[in-house]
Amino acid sequence: MPRLAFQDLILRLQNFWAERGCMIETPLDLEVGAGTMHPATFLRVLGPEPWNVGYVQPSRRPADGRYGDNPFRLGKHYQFQVILKPSPLDVQELYLDSLRALGLDLTRHDIRFEEDNWESPTLGAWGVGWQILLDGMEITQFTYFQQAGGIDLAPISAEITYGLERLTMFLSRQPSVYDIEWGAGFGYGPVRKQDEYEFSKYYFEVANVALHWNLFEEYEKEARSCLEAKLVLPAYDWTLKCSHVFNTLDARGAVSVTERVGIIKRVRELAVACAHQYLASREALGFPLLKASNG
Amino acid sequence: MAEYFFELLTEEIPAWMHTAAQATLLQQLTKLTQDLGEPPDDRNPVVVNSTPRRIIFFLSRIPLRESDREEEVKGPPVKAAYDAEGKPTQALNGFLKKNNATIDDVIAGGDYIRVKRTIKGRSAGEILQERVPQIIESLRWPKMMRWGKGEHSYIRPIHSVVSVLGGEHLPITIFDIPSGATTRGHRTLAPQLIDVLSYNDYVTKLELARVVINADRRRQVMAERARVLGQQAGGTPSVDASIWSQWQYLTEYPGVVRAEFGREYLSLPDEVLVTVMRVHQKQLPIRTADGRLTSSFLAVLDNDADRDGNAAYGNSFVTNARFADAKFFYETDRKRTLESRLEQLEHLQFQEKLGNYRDKTRRIEQISAAISDDADTLAAARLCKTDLPTEMVKEFTDLQGKIGGIYAREEGLPENTWQAIYDHYLPANIDDALPRTRSGAVISLADKIDTLAGFFRIGAKPTGSKDPFALRRAAQGIVQILLNRDKRSVKIGIDKLIGIALAAHQQLSNQATPQPKDDLLAFFAERVRTILEASAYGFAYDEIAAAMEAGWASSLTDLVDRITALKAMRNEPNFLSILDSAKRIANITSGQESAARVDPSKFESDTERRLAKLVPLMSDQVDEMIGERDYKLALETFAAMAPELETFFDEVMVMVEDEGVRRNRMALLRTVGNAVMKIADVTKIVVDRREYRA
Repeated sequence: MPRLAFQDLILRLQNFWAERGCMIETPLDLEVGAGTMHPATFLRVLGPEPWNVGYVQPSRRPADGRYGDNPFRLGKHYQFQVILKPSPLDVQELYLDSLRALGLDLTRHDIRFEEDNWESPTLGAWGVGWQILLDGMEITQFTYFQQAGGIDLAPISAEITYGLERLTMFLSRQPSVYDIEWGAGFGYGPVRKQDEYEFSKYYFEVANVALHWNLFEEYEKEARSCLEAKLVLPAYDWTLKCSHVFNTLDARGAVSVTERVGIIKRVRELAVACAHQYLASREALGFPLLKASNG
Repeated sequence: MAEYFFELLTEEIPAWMHTAAQATLLQQLTKLTQDLGEPPDDRNPVVVNSTPRRIIFFLSRIPLRESDREEEVKGPPVKAAYDAEGKPTQALNGFLKKNNATIDDVIAGGDYIRVKRTIKGRSAGEILQERVPQIIESLRWPKMMRWGKGEHSYIRPIHSVVSVLGGEHLPITIFDIPSGATTRGHRTLAPQLIDVLSYNDYVTKLELARVVINADRRRQVMAERARVLGQQAGGTPSVDASIWSQWQYLTEYPGVVRAEFGREYLSLPDEVLVTVMRVHQKQLPIRTADGRLTSSFLAVLDNDADRDGNAAYGNSFVTNARFADAKFFYETDRKRTLESRLEQLEHLQFQEKLGNYRDKTRRIEQISAAISDDADTLAAARLCKTDLPTEMVKEFTDLQGKIGGIYAREEGLPENTWQAIYDHYLPANIDDALPRTRSGAVISLADKIDTLAGFFRIGAKPTGSKDPFALRRAAQGIVQILLNRDKRSVKIGIDKLIGIALAAHQQLSNQATPQPKDDLLAFFAERVRTILEASAYGFAYDEIAAAMEAGWASSLTDLVDRITALKAMRNEPNFLSILDSAKRIANITSGQESAARVDPSKFESDTERRLAKLVPLMSDQVDEMIGERDYKLALETFAAMAPELETFFDEVMVMVEDEGVRRNRMALLRTVGNAVMKIADVTKIVVDRREYRA
């Protein structure tokens, strides 16, 4: 059994996917709930351009914060995200090889692919796939994207999302996330526990509700002006900011059921508009990555 | 005769889809073998199997070629086939030549020239090459996906196809993937390529490559393993068909692993532990002989054994993590009482136009109070939704109601109250049990009728297949409860229930919206018909329709009694008398005006005087029997009138000129007809008269 540290997983996964033709992207420098929201996924899966990428994405989910008390739940966790477009036929085998690259002898472990479809109402996106269980524990989400921003996709992208903390805990046989080693002798607990506590306290108890409602309105306006100015990438940034502000308000308990539906709809409208405008802008540019791959 | 077998190697197909796909495939392949000329007999030559990654079928004996068959070909009209001298025209000669026939082959008669043509049967290979891809590609899956370039839509991407006829590869193509005579073994345990020559060879080699293709066998192996592991843990695994039917399609190489969770979690309610294991983790709890949960449980394994204990560790790890969350939720929830959560319900929306759950609770209380004055029941009505804001229900939504019941029990509320809260979502579907107490039945009725009345009031009734608020199931649940006759029975009619619920909505919303009573009644009528038709009573459609015509909304049990009588009478010879009498009366009185009451002074013959004397006697008797709910005897009494009626119709002319006399006779006949109409409109019964001869 390999005793890997958190950073060993990151390094090995990056190397593994780089060797298999993926560009290694860096995390998005904004607060997002999942690697899927990174433009390297949400926008790049649109249209005909090929795309193979891998990156770490810190993912903030304010409502999942537990003040650093719960050994399994985190308000911010790290994902390793891979997009393969078009999805190659041997994508499952590639994935299993990535586990082997982490030192797992798969003849000694139980690996199963159990149906788990994915849908994001805020992104107008859905896909079909599995949760991948290693010895009964979910370590990866695997999705064949079918639609993003309300647009039917072709080619289809395969999305592989590893939950890095979970996987490290499991591989190093640690019962608590705060007991795993990050790397170079630094423990995950000493490095991260303070921010889990502070952000839990902030999102649940302190965040200024009026300010956040106001931010939502302003960010939304800004996204709309960017869309009008045909600046889709800034527009998408502001859309993501709206989404995070909404998640903060939600964790703060400031969103009623009715409001919730309305807000999700507003974010989705922005995301859908971004998707359409992005696709049009790529087409206007003559789908540059298509040429690059042909040349 | 030859054998054919086929394998589609795909990515993992969702476990719950296999059974239906196999059934469809079996049906289509059976048809294929019949088309191939396989004489139907007891031994079905079609075998269908599947594993998570494979769809497999085997046709054990198929004829090498179809038999030849003859077909008639139509040519030119006879008029155009011969000239004035009776010689064949160009048109006829051309037709004959084209069909390789001579003038002697022409079939005599008809307006057109016709000849017989022999169609050579095609070889089995040719037919399979055409039909197998069609059958496989057109299999309908509940949720399709695209992959790669996105050209095809199927349940999961396809990797390879095996197609072997009589020991040789029979080339076919499924979604651009050419077939071969090679497959692969288990994904991680034996992924090597395997050449397969015959079905037996295939089954044997796959077994060596850690794939058991037969789902029943996988299940048997797991069941036996589970039994042994359960014994070792000092108990028995729960009997759970839904888990087994998933497990058998989650493995190619069947196995079971036993794992443990922390004993400290045994203090959580059983329902929570079991839901986490069953629903969230697809695991089987183990109980001791006296029904207590142990800290051991079983999980599926795609391997024969967990040699290094990895799967035991992983399953324990993930289950402990879930339980840790559950324990946190449980302890947080228990810090406040259900009663104190009533105000939380004000912030929980039920439906935009129908208010929050506090509003819904008020209506449930009002409706329950109109059905029952039992204090325990009304306490349950007040608290039944208070578990919705609990952390536990937010996390385990399937446990709504049950969690409220458990917390009420822990708070020391009366048994009748906590059980009613616990059960009030029952029955959620047709196979569900009813609430275990009458109080539970009352709360369930109140909750469901409130939902129905509310959504109908705001015009959100189901249309076609769209029923986002599960209103059909709510109505069905109400019908199921009202049909029940044991000690839990609630004696209230659907019409009254609707009235109470609409009044509750009206009163609490202060809005004068249109009252959808008729729509609701029609909606319920449909549910009643469907449920009675599918029920164990074995009622026929026309029996139900006939009895419902005489009323149903005031009592469903009474409706069942009347249909039962009708059904029993139907098999007796004098049923035709009832039917004929009722039909004759209905035909003749239809659209006619009749006098307000029968006037003896207007009678003209002894026959009608005699009938008029008998009718009140019969009518009283029938009413008395209806009063005693002896509907069969009532129908028999009515049947006894038949000879008198027959004489009446033979001897008395009803449609006479004199309006007074005519209306009087109509009135007399209507009195007779009305006697039976209280039980059923028997004219709706469709009979095959031959059944009554002999």
